[in-house]
Amino acid sequence: MWDIISSIVPLSLAYTAPLLIIALGGLYSERSGIVNIGLEGLMGVGAFAAAMFTITFQGSLGGATIWIALLVSLIVGMLLSLFHAFASVSMNANQVISGTAINMFSTAITIYMARWLTGSSNVQIKRFFIKTDVPILSDIPIIGDLFFTKVYTTTYVVLAIVIFSWFLLNKTRFGLRLRACGENPHSADSMGVNVSRMRYIGVLISGALAGLGGGIVIMTYAKEFSQLTYNGLGFLALAALIFGKWKPFGILGSSVFFGIAMTVANMSVIIPSLQNIPNIFLNTFPYVVTLLALVLFSNSSIGPKAAGEPYDVSKR
Amino acid sequence: MSKRVIALVLVVMLMGMMIAGCSTTSTEKTKVGMVTDSGTIDDKSFNQSSWEGIKRYEEEKKTIETSYQQPDNEAETDYLNAISDLVDNGYNIIVTPGFKFETAIFKAQDQHPDTTFILIDGAPNDGDYSKAEGPTYKTGDNVVNVFFNEHEAGFLVGVAAALSSETGKLGFVGGMEIPPVQKFGWGYVAGIKYANDNFGTTAEVVDYIYEGSFNNVAGGQQIASGMYDKGIDIIFHAAGGVGVGVFSEAIERATNGQNVFVIGVDADQYEAGKLSADGDKSVTLTSAMKSVDVAAYNFIDAKLAGTFPGGETIVLSLADNGVGLPAENPNLSADTIAKVEEAKQAVLNGSFTVPSTQEELDAYVK
Repeated sequence: MWDIISSIVPLSLAYTAPLLIIALGGLYSERSGIVNIGLEGLMGVGAFAAAMFTITFQGSLGGATIWIALLVSLIVGMLLSLFHAFASVSMNANQVISGTAINMFSTAITIYMARWLTGSSNVQIKRFFIKTDVPILSDIPIIGDLFFTKVYTTTYVVLAIVIFSWFLLNKTRFGLRLRACGENPHSADSMGVNVSRMRYIGVLISGALAGLGGGIVIMTYAKEFSQLTYNGLGFLALAALIFGKWKPFGILGSSVFFGIAMTVANMSVIIPSLQNIPNIFLNTFPYVVTLLALVLFSNSSIGPKAAGEPYDVSKR
Repeated sequence: MSKRVIALVLVVMLMGMMIAGCSTTSTEKTKVGMVTDSGTIDDKSFNQSSWEGIKRYEEEKKTIETSYQQPDNEAETDYLNAISDLVDNGYNIIVTPGFKFETAIFKAQDQHPDTTFILIDGAPNDGDYSKAEGPTYKTGDNVVNVFFNEHEAGFLVGVAAALSSETGKLGFVGGMEIPPVQKFGWGYVAGIKYANDNFGTTAEVVDYIYEGSFNNVAGGQQIASGMYDKGIDIIFHAAGGVGVGVFSEAIERATNGQNVFVIGVDADQYEAGKLSADGDKSVTLTSAMKSVDVAAYNFIDAKLAGTFPGGETIVLSLADNGVGLPAENPNLSADTIAKVEEAKQAVLNGSFTVPSTQEELDAYVK
């Protein structure tokens, strides 16, 4: 039993990291009052940018390539989210439509560009993060085996961002204002907060983090950009955001839950004690639980109240 | 006013384009089209191989012109629409790679009787598995079904794996449980048994699994990680995108100095297994290849030469060079290559028949 747990937990953390950071991106956007259904597309351009940067510079930049590639994925994700921000904040467009447009645009443009630039829609990279054991900490009994062996460094980066985000959103003036724009933009406006600016910032952070998530997918477990990169991780992140009640540590919990559930489902085929359970139960388990949770908690709906509505000053 | 002028200019331009478009279609060349099954035309796999066969024919013979359609989705209607589009534009030879086209071709062969279809890896049927006798199969005179003896390629890589393994533990990761994938797996197991019997190895298959899809990259990595942790040192994947994850895990472990390998599928996947862009080390032990391009090329040629075997089901085997190993296998030792060649000759001269069904495999392994 312990063997199984100690092999599943580290692997699921590798899968959880990008999911968590994308969901956190969704959190910034929705907390500022903009629904961001375009997370999948933003993740995709981030993944594409990281892959393209890496194959271009993997020979000349050496070991630093992988970190710069993550930075590039973050920037490109942010740039694409600018469209979403412009459409939904400046133009008061329907946020769901705009997000959907991002998803469709991203899939098409990245595959096209990959083909145009490299001659194939599959871009395989040759520099990437490798799972390693953390010195000293990995020797701690139990905890060391679970959380400090065979991890990608990016997992800790993601965790650091989550903790920082909790602090930023709950303990700073900026966080309070951002959340106010998502709950009641009219009051925020009346108190002198620039709602449009806060919402732009929320969407841009969301694009940056979703792009980073895509970069992490490519630079850790996938190592290849292709059509398969668009496998619904961005939508799963939306589910994690809702299940995690729009709170940083809530989505940490829900992402880890999804990550472990998916890993158990994936690995059940080679774990003797799980082989008898039909795969369909394990594969659908996280989604069934999410649906149940949504039904049970629907009364105490906790989403930002003004999310999804364009801010209209005249309604004040 | 100015808007009207612009609109007028646009209309004139549009008409000009239509006229120009018409004039280019009056060429003598035969039009050959292709529809992709899932994924893109340059997927470094099935679609790309088929397309390369078609393009090679175009470049060498210059008697055809080519185009392909990538349907938005993978439902039968999407495939039928793509086929109709090609037919409407004058394409009278259509190549459809993949078993997913079986039901679409079942209908299309009657809807477009003047069009020739080359169906790779499938036989047209109505897809109705609810009947006691199974689905109804029908191959019209305008269709040829091309199958491959995947088990023979699987057999050769099985022999190579048994001879190369240090731990004696081997794994198999299949994608969906469909005949081409199963045949690779059965041949693999048979090849390992053959090596144990004839070359004194003691290898065994520890894990033999089907992931259930061709696109779960993360799952592929996790499964591979679990397998390598069990002491398995060679994994044969026949799983498309799941295999990408298997390669991902193997490359990481090899970079850390662990001795693990992957056996590729369909095409020579040596490049996919390379540890770095400039180095020459790869985790790809060898690959079980399937010459889809040869199939597309040969049957286009047969159609144009008037020898098209319409209505028939053709199986390409090791003897036809339809399946086999890559020409170069840098990760196999000279001794292993010699023994694999010995096993290959046994298949070619008929002294050994590779099991091609679960029953035959059970009988052989027992």
